[in-house]
Amino acid sequence: MGDLEEIGEPKNGETRDAVAADGDAAVAPVAHTGEPTGEGGAQPPGFVQRVATRTARQVDAAAASLRAALLGWLRIREEVPTWLAWILGLIPIAAVLGLWWAVTAGATPESRLISPTILPSPLEVVLSFPSLWFDRALTRNLLVSLSRVVGGFAVAVAIAFPLGLAMGAFTKVKAMFNPLAVFGAYLPIPALVPLTLSLFGTGEEQKIAFLALAFVIYLLPLIVAAVDQVDQVYLKTAYTLGADRWQVLRRVLLGVAWPAIYQSLRQGFGIGWSYIILAEMVDIGHGLGGIIIISQRRGPREHIYLVLLVIVALAYVTDRVWSVVGRYLFPYREGRSA
Amino acid sequence: MTAVPIVELVGVEKTFNAGTPHAYTALKDVSFRIDDRPGYGEFIAIIGPSGCGKSTLLNLIQGFPDVYPPTRGEVRVHGRRVTGPGRDRGMIFQKYSSFPQLTVLDNVTFGLEINHRELHLGRAAMQEQAMDMIRHVGLLGHEDKYPHQLSGGQQQRVAIARSLVLKPRILLMDEPFSALDEPTRFDMQRLITELWHDVQATVFLVTHSISEAVYLGDRLWIMTPAPGTIGAVFDDVIPPTRDADPLMVQESSEFKAVVREVARTFNEIEAESR
Repeated sequence: MGDLEEIGEPKNGETRDAVAADGDAAVAPVAHTGEPTGEGGAQPPGFVQRVATRTARQVDAAAASLRAALLGWLRIREEVPTWLAWILGLIPIAAVLGLWWAVTAGATPESRLISPTILPSPLEVVLSFPSLWFDRALTRNLLVSLSRVVGGFAVAVAIAFPLGLAMGAFTKVKAMFNPLAVFGAYLPIPALVPLTLSLFGTGEEQKIAFLALAFVIYLLPLIVAAVDQVDQVYLKTAYTLGADRWQVLRRVLLGVAWPAIYQSLRQGFGIGWSYIILAEMVDIGHGLGGIIIISQRRGPREHIYLVLLVIVALAYVTDRVWSVVGRYLFPYREGRSA
Repeated sequence: MTAVPIVELVGVEKTFNAGTPHAYTALKDVSFRIDDRPGYGEFIAIIGPSGCGKSTLLNLIQGFPDVYPPTRGEVRVHGRRVTGPGRDRGMIFQKYSSFPQLTVLDNVTFGLEINHRELHLGRAAMQEQAMDMIRHVGLLGHEDKYPHQLSGGQQQRVAIARSLVLKPRILLMDEPFSALDEPTRFDMQRLITELWHDVQATVFLVTHSISEAVYLGDRLWIMTPAPGTIGAVFDDVIPPTRDADPLMVQESSEFKAVVREVARTFNEIEAESR
């Protein structure tokens, strides 16, 4: 602690001229800014020039001390107390809300910086909640989206989990499917929407198929990596204890990899909330994506922003559920010692 | 009386990546024969410069597929050619190997459980044997903890208990105490000497600590730099130290004299091959 200030310290003893001449000095003394000129009332020739030089020096010094303050404030990998982390985290959110409020403030639509048909004010968005809830049947559409995510996820896990386990365990299976997985990793996921549309129409099958495809592409490499990461020493130990191939696969590879696999499922499920909107925004149908399309075409605009907030809240809540269940399932994970 | 050789290596050579520019001969001309002496497990301590194939030697006896089979020669256990790893040869690694998802008790029971059909053991009998072994290694009271709640020394105790509960006739230890701090290492040495009276298994201990090798070993082998072979054998110079406190023994002048002698030979072997 304090090493940056200590580095800067000796510079305080240096002459003012040296500091001014070298504007890049790490720390400049602040004290000299208020110093008297030392010259009498008469204005000798070159006064303007000297004032200018002085001002420049003061500006340099102020900039240097500001930078010193910043350098002192930002320390690499320092410990930050929770309350401070909260405050720091709220600053950008408050800034975005403030900016939103500022560009949409005004008694009449004409006096606003951005027209309410493009961007409604925060208050208008909040006040449109009852109409979203009742007129657009928020709960029902939310459940439709949720069940699609869960359905697509279930199909994807049924494929990606056994395949990923086999790829992680058997090098030959990995050699077989890895090229396909790499191909999938570079596929632009949104481009799969028209593909599944032409294959499955706009019905429920398309949504599930698209989500399942996107989930498999996302989950497979993560599950393979989770199994790969199981240390060889566990396998060797199991063999010396008399385990056969099946026992090593089930009790060691899968047993040790479970928390990492769970972690990848959790990550994948979170991604699902962006995929579902892609799948639902192709037609005026049910689901949260459908509400966005309807609101975009028929209004009210407020609903688009509300739905975005709802999705963020929903994604956050489901992630918390994953986290709590994970802590219950894997009490032995490192970093949670008794 | 014809003793049965419990471990026998005949002209073993191991070359990795044979036939490629990266070919590397780790072991060459390794032959030895260790007899099974009922009621007395022999303790063979192996030291040697790093990369001399000490670990390869243990892995060959275990029959791990990434090392086995040897390029030349034969590895026999109980007079039979090794085909692969098995529970008759326990193994302790330098890396902590307790399964993180299992408690201490479940870790120790693991080997019994996967062999319960051949061992004809019910759940209660398995638990009893495991608890007995946990008591032996001094982990009583820790049986419900998970490995991440244990210290390094305790983790190695779990590994030892997990191996010994299967009553292996051979135990292979690959630098098991290298990752531990010195006081813990003395503790583990004391534990090993205490356990040995009951276990009576033939032990191969690879270590880089000369004093550990002198203290624990009945025999001490010094291997030459790669391609490694047994360069020197100390059979009789080593005082029987099994019942004494490791720290007291290792501070005594007789012990230090033996360590000096071994160290001198070690350096000679290393210098010769240069």
